[in-house]
Amino acid sequence: MNPWLVGDLALLGVAMPVALWIASRGNAIDRLVGLEIGSVVTTIALLAFSQGAGQASYLIVPTVAAILSFVGTLVFARLLAPRR
Amino acid sequence: MSPLHAVAAILFLVGVGVVVMGSLLALPLRGPKDRLHALAAMTSLGTPLVTLGLILRHGWSPTSAQVALIGLLVAVTGPVLSSAAARVAGMRDGSVPRETPQ
Repeated sequence: MNPWLVGDLALLGVAMPVALWIASRGNAIDRLVGLEIGSVVTTIALLAFSQGAGQASYLIVPTVAAILSFVGTLVFARLLAPRR
Repeated sequence: MSPLHAVAAILFLVGVGVVVMGSLLALPLRGPKDRLHALAAMTSLGTPLVTLGLILRHGWSPTSAQVALIGLLVAVTGPVLSSAAARVAGMRDGSVPRETPQ
């Protein structure tokens, strides 16, 4: 196992469950922060997996994930804002 | 393993450590505004370290360019998302007026 896969394992085994825990408890804004943490962890984990597997073509997945998580989180933030 | 590759792996693992520690530190914090501080360390420190490690590993190549793009996307959009989430949290608890521009 190379260091890239060790990092991937740490991200998926420790950081991701924590993000899921935060994203599933508390009020809507607490869960939104959990979603943001999970998005960052997912993007980094996909980067690490691409390097660990030695497949540069896999990098398109974290690229799309980074863009979509930005847009998705902004939409959630907009919808959670109280109405005037 | 060449010295450059060893440095790349160390930078990557330190970045992963920052991300993992950031998520663990966010767990005991209460409230979204406190947890956003932990998220800031993950996006502004952890992600650039991971990206730098991967770029050092690949040198000047198209792969490095795509890794740099991903790192830039996360590092730039992270503070924007934190700001948006903190603003919504402030609007909901009354500390930010609702009339401020979106």
